[in-house]
Amino acid sequence: MKRRFALGLRAQLALVALALLALPWAGVSFVNELERTLLAGQERALLATARAVATALHDRPQLLAAAPARDDAVRREAELELQRLAESEGRMLVAAPVPLERAAELAARKAQAEITAILRGVQRTESRLWVVNRRYQVLALEGSLRRATPAPEGGMLRTAWLRVAGWVIDRPSEDFAESVPDDVLAAGRDIASALQGTPGTRTRRTPDGRTVVISAAHPIWDGNEIAGAVVVEETTNPIASLRSDALERLLLLTLAAFAGTAAILIGFATRLSQRIRRLRDEAESAIDARGRLARVAAGSDAGDEIGDLSRSISAMLERLAQHHVYLESMAGRLSHELRTPIAVVRSSLENLKLAATPEESRTYVARAEEGLARLNTILQRMSEATRLEQALRTAERERYDLAAVVRGCVAGYRIAYAATPIVLEAPARTLEVSGSPDLGAQLLDKLVENAVEFSPAGQAVNVRLQEQGRYALLAVQNKGPALPAQMRARLFESMVSVRETRAGAAPHLGLGLYVARLIAEFHGGAIEAADTAAGDGVVVRVHLPLAR
Amino acid sequence: MSRRIAIVEDDPAIRANYAEALRKHGFEVSAYGARAEALAAMRARLPELAVIDIGLGSDADAGFDLCRELRALSASLPIIFLTARDSDFDVVSGLRLGADDYLTKDVSLPHLLARIAALFRRAELQREPGAQEETLERGDLALDLKRFSIAWRGQPVPLTLTEFWMVHALARHPGHVKSREQLMREANLVVDDGTVTSHVKRIRRKFQGVDSGFEHIDTAYGMGYRWKE
Repeated sequence: MKRRFALGLRAQLALVALALLALPWAGVSFVNELERTLLAGQERALLATARAVATALHDRPQLLAAAPARDDAVRREAELELQRLAESEGRMLVAAPVPLERAAELAARKAQAEITAILRGVQRTESRLWVVNRRYQVLALEGSLRRATPAPEGGMLRTAWLRVAGWVIDRPSEDFAESVPDDVLAAGRDIASALQGTPGTRTRRTPDGRTVVISAAHPIWDGNEIAGAVVVEETTNPIASLRSDALERLLLLTLAAFAGTAAILIGFATRLSQRIRRLRDEAESAIDARGRLARVAAGSDAGDEIGDLSRSISAMLERLAQHHVYLESMAGRLSHELRTPIAVVRSSLENLKLAATPEESRTYVARAEEGLARLNTILQRMSEATRLEQALRTAERERYDLAAVVRGCVAGYRIAYAATPIVLEAPARTLEVSGSPDLGAQLLDKLVENAVEFSPAGQAVNVRLQEQGRYALLAVQNKGPALPAQMRARLFESMVSVRETRAGAAPHLGLGLYVARLIAEFHGGAIEAADTAAGDGVVVRVHLPLAR
Repeated sequence: MSRRIAIVEDDPAIRANYAEALRKHGFEVSAYGARAEALAAMRARLPELAVIDIGLGSDADAGFDLCRELRALSASLPIIFLTARDSDFDVVSGLRLGADDYLTKDVSLPHLLARIAALFRRAELQREPGAQEETLERGDLALDLKRFSIAWRGQPVPLTLTEFWMVHALARHPGHVKSREQLMREANLVVDDGTVTSHVKRIRRKFQGVDSGFEHIDTAYGMGYRWKE
């Protein structure tokens, strides 16, 4: 039975391959975990740096006391913000920076230089350090958050790949606003807590949102007093770029692995389904229309399960073939084997009749003989197909007039089936075919016998013979029940009958139409059965090629 | 003196039944179940008629061999095959070996008796040449109703008893169609239509062996056969 698969083997394997998608997900989770660890490490490193600077500045309150000399925009802005913050927290207002006096300015500059020197000592390339005094004055600011942007390496291929990967993976940008934004200080909890005496860290976005900055603040102690705070800032860009590198590689590897695996799976599935399809096709055609069996060759020497399946189908077919041969010959053999016991019964009955027997036993003898006669009819039908097959093998072909045979036969049927009118339409001229007239008559016998039997009482059976191109078309039509749909294709096979079994009726072994087909094929023709156009009956058509 | 018939049949029930029936009809019957036993007995004393089954015990063709051996013993001994095998091939083989008739076990006892009687009559008349003849002539066809022999244009046609009766049935009323059933009845035969067809085919062939232009048995398809003059 052939039907479209809802989901073929290939589609199924492709679906199974989707399980591979769990791999990149696991990879991404791992990378994220790694990133978190790295960030925590960075945070601790920053805090350590801040502590180091703060330690260097401990007990040097004079440095912090000095007013800041640098008066750049960034610093001022930061100071303003710090003050605003202090205000909002209800702390005492700090006076706006007053211009410094000359001496103080000198001292401040010196202090400034010293702080800067200390800061330089610990400063790293990508971090920014500042020192804030208690009054939220930024005393020194050193370093930059930006790092040198590495030029993308590799050729066009890598560039193209990076562009593609860019759709999925964000690369950190070095192009961000470095200024100390309002919100840094406005929400500068780390600074505030450092000025309260507790080291703090904070993660924030740059004002333009392009990158993330981690800052750590540590208090500077002057004895027991807090003199100020050290703030160390760094972007997470190094880690982010590590992460995106890792993700890119993961993406690349996953895609490659996925493509490779998918190609292998699809190739495998294709081959598998091809083999199975071939096996199916062969298995389907292994039994031909006449019920003969062929061997299945597909994959019969393969060592795997499909080879196994193929071999077991072959074995099954072989057993089926044996069974088939057995069945085919059984009818003939059975009728032969039954002849001897029947002869025993018959000769016994006949001897009984010869003996002087009472009247009563004659009745039983008569009944027994009746039964014997019926048994004989069955036996004859059983061996009919076998005998016909033998006859066909030795039959001689001759040219004969099919029209004459049909006319003669129909005349005979009108006597034999007196209850059923038989209407004949046949051309007056001759229609010569090549074959055997006796067999031709036997073919018509079978068709008319069937038609008469299925025809309701009194309804006519039509026998039509006509020339149709290079063929003689013989059609036998009767009114009656339509053909059962599921049997239509098998009507002409051996031992297929559409009749319902009725008690006492003449036996039907499903050989009649099979015999008809054998004869039609012997004549080089074909036979088919169909419902009539009106649907109120059945027509059997036989096409026999005309003799040339 | 009663006539002696030998029955060679491996099935004891059938053998006994036939033997008893024939005895009741006044024949002297000796029945054998195996080929060697039958041959030995018949060599010692030849019966006047033999009824042989083809398959004897495990030997499927023992009857054929026995027929050949009997024919070698006597050219004139009437031999009837009585067997369950009804394929054309077996019929042809049996008749070719020189059997006078070939019957399947469908045959009824009266039919068998008719044949046996006819064969005895024929054998008897062949031994006494010049006996009075009862003949039927239809153009070139001459039937000797006593000897069950047929001549076509003066030449004998070697027909079996069954075939003779069929030709007789057809030729008695030339032009009349005889159905297969009628032919069967006339030939004391109970067989199916197909067998009648092959009998008719064989008859035609035998006539054609004598006269290649023979075309006097006409098939009336669907009805039967008729003798055409």
